[in-house]
Amino acid sequence: MRELFAILFFPGGLFLLAGGMMYEWADHKLIARLQNRVGPRWFQPLADTVKLLAKEEVIPSGISTFLFIALPIAALAGALTSALYVPLGGLAPTYSFHGDLIVALYMLSLLTLCTGLAGSNTTDSFSLVGATRTLTQLFSYEAPFLVALLGPALAAGSWQISEVNTYAQSHWLLFLQPIGFIVALIGLLGKLEMPPFDSPEAETEIVAGAMTEYSGRGLALFHLGRKVELMVGLTLVASFYLGGLGNPIEFVVKTLALLLGLSVLQSLMARLRIDQIVGLWWRYGALLVLAQWLVLMLIGGFTS
Amino acid sequence: MNTENALKAAGELLAEWTIAANTPESNRLDVVIGAENLIASVSAMLDGRWGYLAGITGLDLGVQAGQFEVLYHFCAGAAVLTLRVRTPRDHAVVPSICTVLPSAIFYERELREMLGVEVTGLTNTDHLFLPDDWREGVYPLRKDAVLDQGETRQ
Amino acid sequence: MSEKSEKFIVPIGPQHPALKEPGHFEFTVDGEVVTGASVRLGYAHRGIEKATESRNWTQNMYLLERICGICSHIHALAYCLGVEKLAGVSAPPRAQAIRSVVAELERIHSHLMWLGVAAHEAGFETLFMYSWRDRETLMDVLEALTGNRVNYSANLIGGVKFDINADQRDTILRALEFLEERTAHYMDIVTTDVVFLRRTRGIGTTSAAQAELLGLVGPTARASGVARDVRIDAPYAAYADFPVTLILHNVGDLESRFIVRINELLESYRLIRQILDHMPEGELTARVPRRIKEGETISRVEAPRGELFYFIKSNGSDTPERIKVRTPTMCNMASVPVLGIGQQLADIPMILAGIDPCFSCNDRAAVIHQGDDGDTWTWERLRQYGIDYYRGQP
Repeated sequence: MRELFAILFFPGGLFLLAGGMMYEWADHKLIARLQNRVGPRWFQPLADTVKLLAKEEVIPSGISTFLFIALPIAALAGALTSALYVPLGGLAPTYSFHGDLIVALYMLSLLTLCTGLAGSNTTDSFSLVGATRTLTQLFSYEAPFLVALLGPALAAGSWQISEVNTYAQSHWLLFLQPIGFIVALIGLLGKLEMPPFDSPEAETEIVAGAMTEYSGRGLALFHLGRKVELMVGLTLVASFYLGGLGNPIEFVVKTLALLLGLSVLQSLMARLRIDQIVGLWWRYGALLVLAQWLVLMLIGGFTS
Repeated sequence: MNTENALKAAGELLAEWTIAANTPESNRLDVVIGAENLIASVSAMLDGRWGYLAGITGLDLGVQAGQFEVLYHFCAGAAVLTLRVRTPRDHAVVPSICTVLPSAIFYERELREMLGVEVTGLTNTDHLFLPDDWREGVYPLRKDAVLDQGETRQ
Repeated sequence: MSEKSEKFIVPIGPQHPALKEPGHFEFTVDGEVVTGASVRLGYAHRGIEKATESRNWTQNMYLLERICGICSHIHALAYCLGVEKLAGVSAPPRAQAIRSVVAELERIHSHLMWLGVAAHEAGFETLFMYSWRDRETLMDVLEALTGNRVNYSANLIGGVKFDINADQRDTILRALEFLEERTAHYMDIVTTDVVFLRRTRGIGTTSAAQAELLGLVGPTARASGVARDVRIDAPYAAYADFPVTLILHNVGDLESRFIVRINELLESYRLIRQILDHMPEGELTARVPRRIKEGETISRVEAPRGELFYFIKSNGSDTPERIKVRTPTMCNMASVPVLGIGQQLADIPMILAGIDPCFSCNDRAAVIHQGDDGDTWTWERLRQYGIDYYRGQP
């Protein structure tokens, strides 16, 4: 009974969806204010979702219908599952075991993977280019982002999210591992395909990228997955680098502070080309974060 | 190079092929040439580094006159030189100048579809402005073009 | 399908988020690199050149002003100057000065809009929003001056319709002061923002020789170091009394085009101030006969996007025999398929925006809707199809 509640309402299910919508609204509103616009009203993400769900879903011919329908569901399921392992709302995660950090990160990547597959599944050229870009980008930011999140895990000596969170409450890793924080923050932008890493869905080039053929329910599910991913990603980075998440107030303040940082970064930059993104990640992101890792391991080795 | 000298230089460049020349306005020179000399004249202009092609105008002189006139406008500063080529309505042909001046292709395609002047040597004869399913043989800028009002969207 | 495996084509247009107006481009790509390109125009073709032949001289002014929503004044101006030349009259100096002021205001409006569009193509939404917000200042000025935000209808054959009074003069000067400060800031952004420069520096570079060969005009040519500006080469309206400084840059990439257009903004501010400070006194209109003498003329003006070329032929009646309009986009468009080859697909919208294309201007002329023949549907048939389709749904 408790488990069912956990999955359906809190922290899974409804809470996540509602929370994701609020975070998305906050993001849109912040960017709008930074760009001197008014921005949407608070229920805009909900209204968009309801509208999309009510709309006709067009399934293109000549493709695998099963995959077309299943991929958005898998994407949303992956994002929701990953939320079970992170300290949402500053409370202890619903499920916790050694190595759940890797599982949570994998579940988050599932969304991107599904997006890429959904794009490859269609015959539309925008979708195909978008899918190629989505997957290319996945392979470029995934490793540095993972390593950046493993930095705190290494410091805490555990690959369990709740333990890292507890460790972080006494150590502000933002100051101890600044490079890791920056890479994690920018990695989050890449993971969420926000500017300047929105090349996979650059509307002026390839319309909506991998999502071009999606409409109605499928598109709504992908968008919901993205909202949940935003919330989970913020929670992870905030709990690892911003002094841990011990209670709901800390959770709200720290994730919103992080979101403000993301919004400023988004509105400051133009879109990077996909080749520039790959170059940026592998030339700078990966190397820097690996260098920091090496230093941490050496220090760890000497002190123990 | 002031306008007067520029026009004089252009007149000299084209002297070999000139059938008639006049100066309708102080900054303009009109040179009538034969269609067969068009490419040679344009190359002479290019070799003499005189101005740039500013456009091609197709004129329908009317059914009675029985001729089209194709105007190649070159501009250099304030000076405008116009090469005028006449071609009969019932067999309207001019050579393409794309071989010497590739940027003329849009103008020539427009001329071809709007006035029905055949441009020999044009590499791309697809419609540029008119719809793909445009009726064969209807050239809207001809004076006698019958544009059926019933088919025209109001 | 077999063709598809050989060639992977990314269609841009006729409806595409990168294009604010309809045009159709097909880019053959190999991975992300463009290997071929073709252009198809005419989606905004309205048969204006043909239509001018059945309207009188005055009506045509209103028709031609509607060729383009952005550079509307300059079309009417080119036409009026040409007709005045044919009729052997010239507008009074004050009218010419007002024409120049409106033309420059229009240039500012067009360049600011371009700045926003180009930034949007590069995914730089903040610059887009800011430059369009500032453009509103100018739209308000134009509205205060002429009563309209677009299609200002400032011209008459033989003069202008309105005067600029002291209040309006102050309004313009105040707006220019604000815009000058903003423009300096934008110049700073486009030349120093590291991320933005990665999308503009060295992209779509056109050498001066290439620009000459492609017949580029306007700011696009000037960014490649080709000194070509009708306002300087063949001054019209009040430009002979208020000379323009030529803005040149010689690199020829997208960054150059930004720099040239932003510098032209600053030059326009200066020029408007100068004209307003030394406004000639006198009449606003000259008398023009209803029938225009037989003859031909060529009228060239510098539109925001480059040289606008009008060929006007009169047969002595109250309607023109032929009006040929050659817009700047027609010249510059030829450069897109050429420059696009070898570039990244992601840079194509930027290269396209770099010439500041105006499809409505470009397309001008065809009229006909070919009726109901399978490929083209009448509005009625489309409507009926929609009704039937949804009735047929369970």
